[in-house]
Amino acid sequence: MSKFKKDDKKGAPGVNTSSLPDIVFMLLFFFMVATTSKESDPTVKVIQPEGLRTTDMTPYKQRSEIDFLYLGKPLNPARAAKYEARGMEFLLFMDNVAQSNPDDLYNVNAIRRWKLDKFESKPARMSEPIESVITCVKADKGAPSGMIFDIRKELQDIDALTIAYAVRDNGNI
Amino acid sequence: MAKREIPEINAGSMADIAFLLLIFFLVTTTMDKDQAYIRSIPKRVEVTTPPVDVEQRDILAIRANSKNELMVRKELMSNADDISERVVEFYTFNELKNDVTSNFPLYSRISLVEIEGRIEAALADAEAVEATPGASQDIIDFKYTILKEWENKKRALQLYGKSELPEISSQAHVRIEVQKGTEYGLFSKIQSELEEAIFILRDKAAKDVFKESYSTIKSRYAVDKKKDAKMDKEKLDLLKILYPDKFIEVTPKK
Repeated sequence: MSKFKKDDKKGAPGVNTSSLPDIVFMLLFFFMVATTSKESDPTVKVIQPEGLRTTDMTPYKQRSEIDFLYLGKPLNPARAAKYEARGMEFLLFMDNVAQSNPDDLYNVNAIRRWKLDKFESKPARMSEPIESVITCVKADKGAPSGMIFDIRKELQDIDALTIAYAVRDNGNI
Repeated sequence: MAKREIPEINAGSMADIAFLLLIFFLVTTTMDKDQAYIRSIPKRVEVTTPPVDVEQRDILAIRANSKNELMVRKELMSNADDISERVVEFYTFNELKNDVTSNFPLYSRISLVEIEGRIEAALADAEAVEATPGASQDIIDFKYTILKEWENKKRALQLYGKSELPEISSQAHVRIEVQKGTEYGLFSKIQSELEEAIFILRDKAAKDVFKESYSTIKSRYAVDKKKDAKMDKEKLDLLKILYPDKFIEVTPKK
């Protein structure tokens, strides 16, 4: 004889999901603002060394005044073994172009061609002189400095006179 | 006329669309920032003039060999973290008073009157060269750059607010000499230490003169170019004149 009748037939009411899109859009906008687009996925593995008091490259990226070069061991183990047999432990990966054979860096002036191609394909309104278009070298911490200086030499030859040495900054900012 | 009711659009799949976009952005973007040290490469020159003799006191050589051993000014160093201290010492040893017997770069102090004299001389020189028939544009430009440098120094001294502008010897520089086999990790560590040392020096000067930190001025200048930008630029210029970052990276031979 209870006053409160149990209504067994009625199940739990469905959760109102009409604001779900709003929540997801909010997340979406957060990620759009807080992240920057990847320039490319390098085929070499780069573990960056750490450093302090670095300069943030994001403003340069937004103005596309920067080109990235990667220097590391190949991700693909078969490829790594193949190059190691020829005495090449570290390989170069330029934005969108993998180094096709080990001699490229030294013989065909691949960097020179790549940098000039990139420079010429930029729209006219981004006409920064080539001297101030940054080339950012992201090298593995075990990479030999000799290769860095080889890259530097190539850049000097085409008057691309700004280089950036990438590191990981765990400190401020 | 019968009133027809407009059917409501089903927005149930809106969430799916938003999720799709969200996942797309999650995959194609990256959170980590690119941090780097920007350095300029010296321009290639065809003419080979014999290099100018630089006094030993003006050179701070940081050497690293292919076994990743470190040497600063002929002294082996086991801990790379100490480099910044040595760089700060290099810049500040003679800052207050020149000690000629020491092995550190000397400072010159120049007053406002002297700078004004130099500006007049540079201007007269530049105009004389310009008036000379057949003078090449390069030389004229060069003369005007000198004039501009002196004008910058005048502005810097006025901002500095003291009677004299201390200036480190113009030949004083830091040399990074690595070998081909030196690991990039050590090379970038040296760069990091240099940057740290310059930061310490400029930060101290900024706090003394402007009562605010170097990073505050720098980030404000980077973010807001309109408001107060000219002032901030002059502040940064002064700090640069006080502690110039002259780093030379020597191409390794072996």
